[in-house]
Amino acid sequence: MTSTAARPDDVKSPGSVADPRRTSWPVLVVFLVPALAIYVGLTAYPAFRTIYDSFFTIEGLDATFVGLDNYRALMSDETFWVAVRNTFVWSFIAPVLDVSTGLLLALALYAGVPFARFLRVAWFTPVLLSYVVVAILWMWIYNYDWGILNEVLRAVGLGALASSWLGDPNLALGALIVTHAWKWAGFNMVVCLAAIHSLPREVLEAADLDNCGWGAKLRHVIVPMLRPTLLNLYILAFIGKMKIFDLVWIMTGGGPLWATETVSTYVYKRAFNWNTFDLGYPSAIAAVWFGVVCAAVVILNRVLASKDRLEY
Amino acid sequence: MRWGRFGCAVAAAALSIGCMGPALAQPAQINMWSNWPDEPAKKDWVSARVKEFEAANPQCAVKLSFIPKADIYTQAKSAVRTGQAPDIFYLEPDQPEFLAGGFLEPLDSYIDLAGLEDWAKPAWTSKGKVYGLPVEAYTVELYYNKDLVKKVGVDVPANFQLTQAQFTDLVKKGVAAGITPISQGVGDRPFPGGLVLYEALLRKLGPEDYGKLLDGTLSYKDPRVIEVMDWVKGLVDAGAYPKSFSTLKLGESHFYFYNTPGSLTFPDPSWFTGRAFAPPESGGMPANFPLGIMQFPAMDGGKCPECKTLAVAGSFVMYSKSKNKDCAGALLKSMATRDNGTKWMEQVSLQTGLASDPSKIKSAHADYFAELNARNKGVKYFFGTPLFHYRAKCAETYTQVMNNAFPAGLISVQDAADKMNAACFKG
Repeated sequence: MTSTAARPDDVKSPGSVADPRRTSWPVLVVFLVPALAIYVGLTAYPAFRTIYDSFFTIEGLDATFVGLDNYRALMSDETFWVAVRNTFVWSFIAPVLDVSTGLLLALALYAGVPFARFLRVAWFTPVLLSYVVVAILWMWIYNYDWGILNEVLRAVGLGALASSWLGDPNLALGALIVTHAWKWAGFNMVVCLAAIHSLPREVLEAADLDNCGWGAKLRHVIVPMLRPTLLNLYILAFIGKMKIFDLVWIMTGGGPLWATETVSTYVYKRAFNWNTFDLGYPSAIAAVWFGVVCAAVVILNRVLASKDRLEY
Repeated sequence: MRWGRFGCAVAAAALSIGCMGPALAQPAQINMWSNWPDEPAKKDWVSARVKEFEAANPQCAVKLSFIPKADIYTQAKSAVRTGQAPDIFYLEPDQPEFLAGGFLEPLDSYIDLAGLEDWAKPAWTSKGKVYGLPVEAYTVELYYNKDLVKKVGVDVPANFQLTQAQFTDLVKKGVAAGITPISQGVGDRPFPGGLVLYEALLRKLGPEDYGKLLDGTLSYKDPRVIEVMDWVKGLVDAGAYPKSFSTLKLGESHFYFYNTPGSLTFPDPSWFTGRAFAPPESGGMPANFPLGIMQFPAMDGGKCPECKTLAVAGSFVMYSKSKNKDCAGALLKSMATRDNGTKWMEQVSLQTGLASDPSKIKSAHADYFAELNARNKGVKYFFGTPLFHYRAKCAETYTQVMNNAFPAGLISVQDAADKMNAACFKG
């Protein structure tokens, strides 16, 4: 029989098998290598290769070093700046719509609207649809001639407001933002609903005892207590929208007149629709945008998370 | 001992397989990507050529896939770089980067060049070599509904060409009658919105100056260009195009013209037939549709009213790194014959860059062909649409401005000319 009490001279150096939090190098390697290999092969290498390629002009199979030329050209590329503006509008404004819609739906369910079980499923369903399906569905809804939106407007005597929602540069970006919010509202609703249900019951009951109405309870109790959740959702939505591509590509292709061009659609156009095989310039756009997204997340983290620790 | 026996057995098996080699030899497989998954006549023509080739060449097997054009381009652009591209794939001459990148194999040593029309060869010729098999060719035509045009009170003259004023009158009468004058949509294509404008510019400027406009040596601020743009802007403002112009897809614009709600005219390349002559239940033109073809209007003081755009579109090319160039070359050779050109015209009712013999064509659409031939008699061709000439930023600006925003009435003549000059003018 051996004693389980460790004597001082039995204490092993870090990394030895005696430390329950440590294991031997071979075991560490076995567990780490697959994950590291996937990370290096599918994330780190493509990212570094993109940055590397951005210093070259690549024609066919030949690469010519051009230093910072691609970055200089980018600074004077009007379309790039339009795409940046559109992406920022989408990324900063649309998450407010997404999160507030999700919160409202969650509150409706929490308040016990009729058919709550059905509505919960119905509102969440768009999250399960692919962007392709969502895009086609909303292209039908927005169709000028027979789309349901214009048909409803005409039916209620507001035919003058019927518009080419995706064909008018002043409306197209907004139309896409609404579509995107519709798709993700259910996700935000589920997260908000879970957060509402986890709020301390005694606080809500105390508010009730103080004759606090629904509006006041929402404003002074529920929303402040949900703040960390709402901020997390905002930042998640923000990151997703900085990379938005599929919905735009299917519904408008970045048009009309670049009104819905985003950085991602522009990178794709430069890489695949530009009568060239050059990946240098699109790599420069991607590299710049990678930096912008990282910087924006860090800034948002600092600004919004001064009191609440964010997790995403 | 056991391993020794096993080794002997393996060796015997290997020997016997070696002896049976010729009997078990698999045909070399080549991959071929074709466009036209949704155009039955073209699809049938390609499938038939491949089947004939396989029957005559048992040493070669062809894995044929029909993929939408945009997907072919996207996939091929990645695949050619990694050596994964199909041996033969669909390409149009407006994608010159494949040739410039060295990804296409010259076909001179594989096919009989006499099987191609002389006017079609330049579309695929570079440094004296021919790189593509120009199967599909087209002219830009102005189709119209004879009954509706008559109904709004416009008589098409004997030469089938309205004047500028008469065409404006047609548009206005159509709008007044509640009939869309021009069915056109740019929801899924980068070119249809520019058809009326650029055909008008060709007739106004003549082939020489129009060529200069497209190669960037003539400004969009040229008074003649502005005059034509002003005229088209007038048509747009009068309501020439459908309200759903920006989102209407090419297939939908076909349906819009010959079905619901119906329009007076439909400018379209002559590949119109690919969709229109599909069975009506598949979205094709109704059997009794009163289809007519007129010339695009003659411009006031125009240099070349008889001009018309001719272009090569769907073609097949061979990948320069193909591992089965013999089979791929043999397949292309078997396609490039006068007989096959004639069959294409017969089955697809569309021009071809392959040599053909029109006298042998027996088609259910003989009347259509006769009318198309009549509208192309005595015309002076200009080779290539704007996107055949424009590249990169200039092509993108054309797509956004001249294809979409200008005919949609979203932008003024001056702004459109400024944007095109900024992207395309080299002066």
